[in-house]
Amino acid sequence: MLFFLLLALFGPALAPYTENNQSSPPREAPSTAYPFGTDYLGRDVFSRVILGARSIFLTAGVGTLIAVVIGTFVGLFIGYQGGLLDEVVGRFIDAFLALPALLVALVILGIIKNVDFAPGSWQAAVADQSVLIVIALVYVPIVARVVRSSTLDIKTREFVQAAQIRGEARLYIIFREIFPSVVPALVVEASLRFSYAIFLVASLGFLGVGASPPTPDWGLMVSENRGGLYQLAPWALNFPALAIAVLVIGVNLMSDGVKRVFQKSG
Amino acid sequence: MSETPGTVLHVANLGISYRVGKQWIRAVREFQIEVKAGQIYGVVGESGSGKSTAATGIMRYLAANGRTEPGSVIELLGQDLAARSARAMQDVWGRCMNMVPQDPAAALNPSIRVGEQVAEIVRRHEKVDRDTARARVVAMLRRVRLADPETIFDRFPHQLSGGMQQRVVIAMALITSPQLLILDEPTTALDVTTEAVILDLVRDLIAAEGAGAVYVTHNLGVVAQLCERVVVMYAGEIMEDAAAADLFARPLHPYTVGLLKSVPRLGQTKREMALQTIPGRPPSLTELPEGCVYAPRCPLAIEICQTKPPLETPAAGRLVRCHRWQEIAAGAVEVAYEDGGGAIASAGLEARSPLLHAAEMTKHFAVSRSLIEVLQGVTPTPVRAVDDVSLHIQKGRTYGLVGESGSGKTTLARMIIGLENPTDGSIDLLGVDLAPTVRTRGREMLAKLQMVFQNPQNSLNPYLTVGQAIRRPLMTLRGMARAEADHEVERLLTAVNLRPEYAARYPGELSGGEKQRVAIARAFASDPALIICDEPVSALDVSVQAAVLNLLARLQEEHDTAYLFIAHDLAVVGYLADYIAVMYLGEIFEVGYGSDLFAPPYHPYTEALVSAIPVADPTHQSERIRLSEDVPSPRNLPTGCRFHTRCPRKIGAICEDEAPPWRDDGDGHYIRCHIPLPELTALQKSLLPDHERDA
Amino acid sequence: MWRFILRRLGFFVFTLLLTSVLIFALTRVLPGDVARVLLGREAGEAEVAALREELGLNQPLHVQYVEWVRDFVTGNWGLTFSRPAQDILQLVGQRALNSARLAAITMLIAVPLSLLLGVIAGLTENRLPDNTISVLTLSVVSLPEFVTGIFLINILALELRLFPASSAVSPSATFEEALPSLWLPALTATLVLLAYITRLTRAGVIEELKRDYVRTATLKGLPYRVVIVKHVLRNALIPTITVIATSTGWLMSGLVVIEFVFSYPGLGRLLTFAIDKRDLPLIQAIVMVTVMVILVANFVADLLYAILNPRISFD
Ligand code: SF4
Ligand code: SF4
Repeated sequence: MLFFLLLALFGPALAPYTENNQSSPPREAPSTAYPFGTDYLGRDVFSRVILGARSIFLTAGVGTLIAVVIGTFVGLFIGYQGGLLDEVVGRFIDAFLALPALLVALVILGIIKNVDFAPGSWQAAVADQSVLIVIALVYVPIVARVVRSSTLDIKTREFVQAAQIRGEARLYIIFREIFPSVVPALVVEASLRFSYAIFLVASLGFLGVGASPPTPDWGLMVSENRGGLYQLAPWALNFPALAIAVLVIGVNLMSDGVKRVFQKSG
Repeated sequence: MSETPGTVLHVANLGISYRVGKQWIRAVREFQIEVKAGQIYGVVGESGSGKSTAATGIMRYLAANGRTEPGSVIELLGQDLAARSARAMQDVWGRCMNMVPQDPAAALNPSIRVGEQVAEIVRRHEKVDRDTARARVVAMLRRVRLADPETIFDRFPHQLSGGMQQRVVIAMALITSPQLLILDEPTTALDVTTEAVILDLVRDLIAAEGAGAVYVTHNLGVVAQLCERVVVMYAGEIMEDAAAADLFARPLHPYTVGLLKSVPRLGQTKREMALQTIPGRPPSLTELPEGCVYAPRCPLAIEICQTKPPLETPAAGRLVRCHRWQEIAAGAVEVAYEDGGGAIASAGLEARSPLLHAAEMTKHFAVSRSLIEVLQGVTPTPVRAVDDVSLHIQKGRTYGLVGESGSGKTTLARMIIGLENPTDGSIDLLGVDLAPTVRTRGREMLAKLQMVFQNPQNSLNPYLTVGQAIRRPLMTLRGMARAEADHEVERLLTAVNLRPEYAARYPGELSGGEKQRVAIARAFASDPALIICDEPVSALDVSVQAAVLNLLARLQEEHDTAYLFIAHDLAVVGYLADYIAVMYLGEIFEVGYGSDLFAPPYHPYTEALVSAIPVADPTHQSERIRLSEDVPSPRNLPTGCRFHTRCPRKIGAICEDEAPPWRDDGDGHYIRCHIPLPELTALQKSLLPDHERDA
Repeated sequence: MWRFILRRLGFFVFTLLLTSVLIFALTRVLPGDVARVLLGREAGEAEVAALREELGLNQPLHVQYVEWVRDFVTGNWGLTFSRPAQDILQLVGQRALNSARLAAITMLIAVPLSLLLGVIAGLTENRLPDNTISVLTLSVVSLPEFVTGIFLINILALELRLFPASSAVSPSATFEEALPSLWLPALTATLVLLAYITRLTRAGVIEELKRDYVRTATLKGLPYRVVIVKHVLRNALIPTITVIATSTGWLMSGLVVIEFVFSYPGLGRLLTFAIDKRDLPLIQAIVMVTVMVILVANFVADLLYAILNPRISFD
């Protein structure tokens, strides 16, 4: 985990070549000069894998973060408010949750991809970050539901009633009295979301609706080097796939660890 | 081993440890007990005393991280069980020894019909076919006095009430006629009227079966009424063991003395004598004191108590673990705890000026309608939690509210404090009409009304320090500046007998009693005129409960604050309250001064309630008035008098058809019943224990 | 009971409507000029205008929506946009059948296997079997489908030559014809489901084992086997029905990736194809069908759960 984080941070300094440097001979087997070999365009796989770490971290991480922040707000408010608002928003969340995240993301991205926005317009800027935004979008309801259910639980605690009896403002009660007790569940959920987000980013890249070539996106790299090309240069596919595998396993184990820690203390 | 005839269970030197992290925690040490056939042996102690661990240890059923120490002896009918494997125990469990656990709802498998759950035990041990087993079970269900056992057989646990579930579990435990029965707080989760019925049942069945029984409980009253012998446990050790009559009449251990004196007896009030309180709290099992485990709290502790006292035999059939038992037995020293003696409240009960008047308070909870019902235009009857209840609270006085679960007492309190929006009714506080909910009440009114909650675990925010919790109302409701508030926090902490350093602590570092003190300090912070106490001591151990009750009484004297004190325990309410109302199914049936409530005429419900309370005195034979039936659902209330489905004194159709009138007994004592008061008085006997009646 | 069914049915319709609004918004509103998107940048203005007219795009949005829903409900799904134009209903139906085959095989392998593993892990909490299973489900099997898929192709198909590497059978192949090439994608999908169901089953078993009734049952002297099978599993496995249903959602999205990897002509492959070809009507149809399948699965699971679980009362 930490290793990948460092890679993401210092990747550019470590990579021996720039991402799209095509100066090398194509389809070179791994050697000391090209530790992971080169791909069909003669790009250094090692460099591209290293540089790809940053984009996957950034997209999955920031996407998750946005979802967590918005989801927390939504969950806290509807959970505390209850009543009709909760009923209505809750139904929407439930309905949304019935749809698989990957499918939703795939369709949205697939369509956005085919729309031509005027370069430089805000729509184009949004479309540029579409993967990140879509991840945030599909995870908001999930986070909101988790936060909502733990808010509902904590709301009935007597210390919250004690605050109500003092005539505390709604915002004070939500953030000062309830929020701290939601944090453990939230951290567990966030780490889980992060691991799924990485899964999602990689899959979307692979399906060709994530980053567009020639970005060094791991999923995209796997996809580019599939098929007939594979037999000629298996390394160009295997190394990014391996990178994804190691990262996903790492994040998974981490989020499982986070869960254990918080369940014990909770 | 020495074994007298008739001995069912012989336990000696029993040690049980749990592994927590790398440490072995010795939860039970040197436990011993000898149970004879037909005998009910009580094991009493507070939480953490190891009483339940000892009981499950006897069953040889420990959690995965537990172990029975080598050298332990557990003999059932002469067979040693201590070294048996779980596999080998399978022929003992269910056949020779059975257990009745605390929470029947959890003990039954939710997805198997209750009859089948009883039947499988018969089939397993008696190898009979299904039909025979069924017949046996139905007969047994009838013996535990379940009406219509054939139907009950095919019910799922969630379709039965708590009392019925507990009967099923008892049937399960007795159907194979085991020689030993272990009962682990079997009535703690039940209401007192149901508890009384179950206790009668247990007593009768054990007598009939001739089995030996170990009865684990924290309730001294239950022990006094049920058990022949008692062992008192503290911090994993036996403190004292004696015949029940001897233990209650002549306790030899300072802890036993403290326990007996710290429980309020029925009819005891703060005006006569304060409760004795045991200082401190039970030690943590990870850091037990070197010598006597009770030394840090014992008023008689002297030098020698730094060494471990042996378990001695002061007389045949008695055990005690104390260096000074001879002096105590001879009356050479008196076991005097804090408080005790003097009365807390000033004697007079003259009328004070009115503080709060709640009139015609009503709360109906709407039942959600299904789509079909909406289409059909059906409006389901709402749950009538509180119906047209009025009460007057005077300045500086305690208004007690008693009732079993479902009586609506908590809903009433929540309406007064403004957490529940009343369906109807009005509240007048010091001549001002109160807005219905906290959101709509002004700061000044909020400051005048405060509340102490039941559960100390939940009443403080775990992420705020004690200081922050108390400071907040000072700043918001009394407009104090930070420095001034901090100063006041110290004063309040001192007032509730906590050191000022506690301000920096988090609730997680506090014991239950300490948390409740903090909650009380927080309630007093805004200098309120009325504090609503909703079961403030019911989650606390008896030795801690007394101190909190005394604290509440003392603070009331100092601040002239009124209390609305809600509890299910009549003795606790009786101790603290000046005026008491008895609620049943959303209505008040009797109100009066404390003393009025404990002498005839009683309302028939109050009478049943009082007679159901197990009195902590084995010589006391209470008049047994038992309520059959379960409390009706508040969705489907009985007509006429709401108590008529269970009333032992029901006089006929009038009770079913007409709501009973209020009858005035004078002096503010009112009873709501069709029976005229002189007739009631003639029918009833005083239910108080003798010594209380004389006093 | 009826009230319960009605409530679930209400949710079903609500979700479906919500999805339809979403997909409609996505395909009609978001792209701006749909006709332009469909025809591409090079098309002439006149052509675009003609198409707009043909598609009824000049009408107000809500009219378009109502028409679209009506067409969908009446089975009038139209033709694909990409050439050669095909009847969408027929195309989707055929591909859905293919996907169903794949899904069925996957479920047949995955469900019993993962229940078994989950129960074993739950019963041996924190001991060797549990730790092994947990590490496996946490790592190898929770990888993205395309990664496992590719590794499986490398090892089982290319190195060991046990299965064909590509499952690009004819879309109209019969089951027997398709079967040999189904194993590898089914195996990949199994791994994905395995992780999910196993972990939830394990959690369910562990939770049930802590309940008091387990002690009651043990103290009746019942053999361990009876305690587990009759008492614990009954309660632990009822919730897994819901888990299996929710996993159809996983399976559906998993299939999109897997069919892409293996070039298997199922609904998922059709979706990626439609997205690639900007075939908006086809996308709409596929999404609606997929969501409907998921919702039906959820609905059936809720019903089963309610019937099997005596704790839910229907009044
Ligand atoms: S041994 Fe000492 S400290 Fe312990 S109970 Fe007896 S007198 Fe008290
Ligand atoms: S009115 Fe009748 S039923 Fe009610 S308490 Fe009096 S005697 Fe009993």
